[in-house]
Amino acid sequence: MFKFMTIKPSKKDSFISKHLFLLMIILAIIITSLFVVVSMLIYNSNGAAQVDLSRPGYVSVRAQSVTNSSNFKDYSASGEINQETIEEFQQLFADQLNKAKAIDAFGGDPLSPASLGISVSTEQP
Amino acid sequence: MTISKKYLTYLLILTVVFSGVSFLTVSAQDKSITDKQTEQIRSNCVSMKNTLNQLHASDALLRVNRGQIYESILTKLIDRFNSRLSNNNINNDELKSITVKYSSMLDTFRADYKTYEEQLSSTLNISCSDKPADFYSAIVSARTKRNQVHTDVTKLNQFLDQYQSVFNQFKKEYKTASEGMKN
Repeated sequence: MFKFMTIKPSKKDSFISKHLFLLMIILAIIITSLFVVVSMLIYNSNGAAQVDLSRPGYVSVRAQSVTNSSNFKDYSASGEINQETIEEFQQLFADQLNKAKAIDAFGGDPLSPASLGISVSTEQP
Repeated sequence: MTISKKYLTYLLILTVVFSGVSFLTVSAQDKSITDKQTEQIRSNCVSMKNTLNQLHASDALLRVNRGQIYESILTKLIDRFNSRLSNNNINNDELKSITVKYSSMLDTFRADYKTYEEQLSSTLNISCSDKPADFYSAIVSARTKRNQVHTDVTKLNQFLDQYQSVFNQFKKEYKTASEGMKN
């Protein structure tokens, strides 16, 4: 009544079915590598790499980074404006402005030839 | 025969032009650094690399700490005060205008620091004993970029000063107005 047909698996099918697990692992590695490459591209392009003090070159200064922002009191964005709230803002702003201007950041000239011990003259002796 | 002569002439002209360009380039490189400087870079190579490594680390720390302060001033104080004024229907166009400039300068500071850090990192990767001229040229470029970062910081401080000045004016006017209403 019924005719049963036996379909012989092609060589290609049998290879895939035989090595399915291995292929899945390879595919997973490829996808993971792709995500790692994309992540590294984003990490390097958006400036995160420059402020990442966990990088090996920054071991000596890592402990000195200010991680505690509890001394920075937030000013509320809601509420009425009166003499008291204006003075509160004035005080908070003045404190932070003093901190910002406390040191001449990126001042000096540590990359000048003189600082690095190179003579300034560009004329051939 | 004529064609081959023509091609030979073109080839000769091209050779002369390329030789001239190459000669000029090499001459320019030679002029950028003196023999004395080359010798100094080679002899101080290790100490210079150490100095640059220390500067690289200390500038990164400075970028993180300064960046945090400038960012917090904007998000935790200035933006909130501006919002509060707006919520109370108080005109603060001048303060807003300074805030926009400050915010834009903060973006510039971030971008310029990134450019400077990349330049300093590539300088550290150049062998100062094998390529002293390239090393010197990279230092000069890093120096220019660091100076730009310093200019950005100065401008940020100037915008904060401007904001404070306009705020003080606002405070004065507010006090006068509120005293006038009482009387």
